[in-house]
Amino acid sequence: MAGKIEYIEALEKKEVSGILNPLVKEWFFSRFSDFSLTQLYGVKRIYDRKNILISAPTGGTKTLTAFLGILNYLVGLALKDELEDKIYCVYTSPLKALSNDIFVNLEQPLKEIGELAEKKGLKMQKIRVGLRTGDTTASERAKMVRKVPHILVTTPESLSIILTTPKFVENFRAVEFVVEDEIHAMANKRGVYLSLSLERLHEKSLIEPVRIGLSATIAPIEEIARFLVGKNRDCLIAKVELVRDIDIKLISPAEDVLEAEDPENKKKLYKILDELIDEHKTTLIFTNTRAATERVVHHLDDYFPGKYIGLIGVHHSSMSKNKRFEIEEKLRNGKLKVVVSSTSLELGIDIGSIDLVVLLRSPKSVARALQRIGRAGHQLHANPKGRFVVLDRDDLIESGILMKSMVEKKIDEVQIPKNCLDVLAQQIYGMAISKIWNAEEMLKAIRRSYCYSDLKKDDFYDVISYLAGDYALEHRNVYAKIWYDEETKEIGKRGKLARVLYMTNIGTIPEEGFIEVVIQSPSERRGQSVGKIDEAFLERIKKGDVFVLGGGKYQFMFSRGMKAYVIADVSRTPTVPSWFSEQLPLSFDVANDIARFRGLVRERIKKPKEAIDFIEDYLYINRAGAKNIYQYIREQYKFSEIPDNRTIVVEKFKEDKEYLLFHSMVGRRVNDALARAYAFAAARFRMRDIEIGINDNGFFIAGEQLDEKKILKAVTADKLDGILKQAIEKTDVLKRRFRHCAARGLMILRSYKGRTKSVGKQQVHSHFLLAAVKKISDEFPILREARREVLEDLMDVGNAKKVLLKLDSGKMKFKVVRTPMVSPFGLNLIMQGHADLIKVEDKIKFLKRIHQLHLKVIGEDI
Amino acid sequence: MEVEYVGKCLLLNIDGKKILVIGDLHLGYSESLRRSGVLIPGDSFKEVVRELGKIMEKTGNVNEIVLLGDLKHEFGGISNAEWREIKELLDYLKKKGKVIIVKGNHDKITEVITKQKGLGLVDYYIIDGVAFVHGDRKLEESEIYDKKIKYWVIGHGHPAIKITDNVKEEKYKCFLVGKYKKKDVIIVPSFFDVNLGSDPRDFDLGLAWKFDLMRFVVRVIEGLDVLNFGELGKLNY
Repeated sequence: MAGKIEYIEALEKKEVSGILNPLVKEWFFSRFSDFSLTQLYGVKRIYDRKNILISAPTGGTKTLTAFLGILNYLVGLALKDELEDKIYCVYTSPLKALSNDIFVNLEQPLKEIGELAEKKGLKMQKIRVGLRTGDTTASERAKMVRKVPHILVTTPESLSIILTTPKFVENFRAVEFVVEDEIHAMANKRGVYLSLSLERLHEKSLIEPVRIGLSATIAPIEEIARFLVGKNRDCLIAKVELVRDIDIKLISPAEDVLEAEDPENKKKLYKILDELIDEHKTTLIFTNTRAATERVVHHLDDYFPGKYIGLIGVHHSSMSKNKRFEIEEKLRNGKLKVVVSSTSLELGIDIGSIDLVVLLRSPKSVARALQRIGRAGHQLHANPKGRFVVLDRDDLIESGILMKSMVEKKIDEVQIPKNCLDVLAQQIYGMAISKIWNAEEMLKAIRRSYCYSDLKKDDFYDVISYLAGDYALEHRNVYAKIWYDEETKEIGKRGKLARVLYMTNIGTIPEEGFIEVVIQSPSERRGQSVGKIDEAFLERIKKGDVFVLGGGKYQFMFSRGMKAYVIADVSRTPTVPSWFSEQLPLSFDVANDIARFRGLVRERIKKPKEAIDFIEDYLYINRAGAKNIYQYIREQYKFSEIPDNRTIVVEKFKEDKEYLLFHSMVGRRVNDALARAYAFAAARFRMRDIEIGINDNGFFIAGEQLDEKKILKAVTADKLDGILKQAIEKTDVLKRRFRHCAARGLMILRSYKGRTKSVGKQQVHSHFLLAAVKKISDEFPILREARREVLEDLMDVGNAKKVLLKLDSGKMKFKVVRTPMVSPFGLNLIMQGHADLIKVEDKIKFLKRIHQLHLKVIGEDI
Repeated sequence: MEVEYVGKCLLLNIDGKKILVIGDLHLGYSESLRRSGVLIPGDSFKEVVRELGKIMEKTGNVNEIVLLGDLKHEFGGISNAEWREIKELLDYLKKKGKVIIVKGNHDKITEVITKQKGLGLVDYYIIDGVAFVHGDRKLEESEIYDKKIKYWVIGHGHPAIKITDNVKEEKYKCFLVGKYKKKDVIIVPSFFDVNLGSDPRDFDLGLAWKFDLMRFVVRVIEGLDVLNFGELGKLNY
């Protein structure tokens, strides 16, 4: 039976204050004048022990909402001298820094309440808060074992470790509350992992803890609620509406945005930024890539020499922890005038008061735009203020649509990964370490998690087989992590080292390494190292691609382990932008809105004034922006056709090769899936490999000769899975994702017998491992998971299928047009799109064909 | 002398005497990975025996079997797998013909095991103008440089070749066949299957001599078939 989901309303102030202990009430109103709206929604429900998901915009006093009822309950016990030595509440957040903040934010009120009690002559037990993260020292941990914290503040990884610590796990015997913070940032494997940890916690606890989820604005909210509590438990949803007005506007530096890269416009852009910064106390600028953050700082200094020295900071994920912390500290102390960040300042760590957020380029999803703009006016009652600054015409439309969605409160949907077998393997191992399980009981416990509620029995037993070493034949002794007795159906751990092994290899965040770029040619520079690139970038380039690194241009040849071999001194223009792997993908929902908008403009295309009025009104943007958009869409109309949400225009044109360019406005992850599928189909007809390029707005396939009639028919919803499985089989991305999954699924132990493997070593090993796994079974659970991850998490097969179904049923259609060259809407794609390679022919046929060619050349028979 | 390429092995026919040549085996490699915490499934040794069986089905009876070195993988110690697998392999091969083992750079202590089967290791083996060496050492001043030696058969390099039509690329194990100081040189690919090997255009094969590999002929292996792809230097890269 699926649990009940119920939306709730805010309560009256007296209903909430009525539950508060006089001491807590006095403390609260000495600190705050009134309850926040979020508190009116949440506090009493938590006090009443109801599972609840609280979704509120940033700055909505969510944490205190979660804790007020709990603190109130604990203070009540402490005053009666009834506080036991056990953990009452477990709090997790995805960031160590945030957990640190929360720890401090709990200690403070507890101290104040304690002092108040003392002043009143009330005797009260001390309520202890414990912080356990990866940074907690051994002595602090030992202290926590002796003096059990009543509230445990931790991270998902540390929670798993604690769950496998015999001395400590006793304290989980009757946990009453679980708080999961920033749950919107957990729609990934880490969240899946945490969902299983919570079920394990539940297994240890005699009572079922109340689950409290805290989230920024997110959709689909009911699914997030289920993700929080599991499929069968009830959950309340407090959807705290944005009471604050958000003040958003769109600014474009150029009259004609087409020329945004023009030096004059660039100057204008920085003049605009400078003015915005001047008009505000503290400005936070978000860019979409790390390199762009550095560029903005550099140019601001170029155009305004000396003005920003000491007043500007950069904050992004490849900076060291200390450096980032320094910037956060300066922000809190109000020492910076402006900070430029990519994604790292999106989450809720305290950064003091920001009064303006600038979004340089579209943030690609409504939820992200809200999250970023919500960083401004973080204190209660201040209105968040945001400015979109757009740099090209696609960006202009995209930002316009995002702004419209924000104003109209339409949020794009996130997807939660399901049935991840690598995470499952790791957790089953952890479970087996704790006790001997009956297999069916274990499966039942696992299926209580939303992420595994429809886990197939076969998949479960495949993972059990893998962990029990069934695939290793006589090497079972080294291999097996658990034992499984088919007669009794019992499962238990194997080996004395099991616990150490588990604890040192725990976690789901893949270790990403840097790839050293080494020159292979010309021979006089052979072996010279010219710098490093991200692993994610390597996943995206193919042989022959030219990229820029440290001012030089290099042509990629091949990779081995953690080295990429390149040709230096190439004259060709770069084919892959260096930021490509960092680029956030445009969401499916926003893309659909853009497609619909294009259609609406097309209906009015012949009446310029009406169309421009419409755009201005529809997107809430200014006249100049509306004119620009009209101009752009009109150019497309004259040159080719305007694609919309019912029509995918496919342009055919010839350059060095024949191109089919699909104007499929369905989000980049869907485009990724579709592009590979169509390219694979095309390759199959011609038996030759096809080049592909993908971006947010569409994709192209290119080859010697393309028969669009055949190709367009070849991909259908029911065939998609099969086609894609073959299409990704030999790609670099599958190889690297396999390494991640193998590490998560404990096939590659990063840390073993006191030694830690570098990422490079893991990659080399995983190369051998993959070859061996494929020999055993093409359906090996960890390999299957790597494929699932590529298809469902990296790409979006689910929505790709929805698009294909519409095409199959006639709700959408292809419209093929011949053009002499790429059309305006496709220009960004041709210029910036990345290319990949589809391997299609089976090896032998390929070999024979090439051999025939060679035979002619060498003129010899065998 | 007749030279026949049978899958990853070489079959030499010297006046009716049939000699089967097997490249680097690196037995125990999977096991050593497992011991370092990389859980390779399956049984690579069984694969080796199965594959040898197929090859010998095609070659028919042979008189001699030459192992080109690197029987075992680990330098320092001997793992259980290595003990067991090397002994089992030698038992199997001895039934098929006289076994000669050339010493490889990984074979510092391999003799401890082979002795139990009554076999020693040699730095090189010579028969009727053909010299078999591992290839890691020059073996200067040895008989292999004699004029009457017409052939060198070498292991160690693990040659493999990338083949491309400019769009797609695949890698295959291969033989490299060429000349060095008037001798015919055949570089034999590794037999073990955990890794394909290195393309000499990308990486130095680590052989003791500076061969002009770009002028060597590439013979590519696919299953039991071996295809002539012409000179390495003329292949698309």
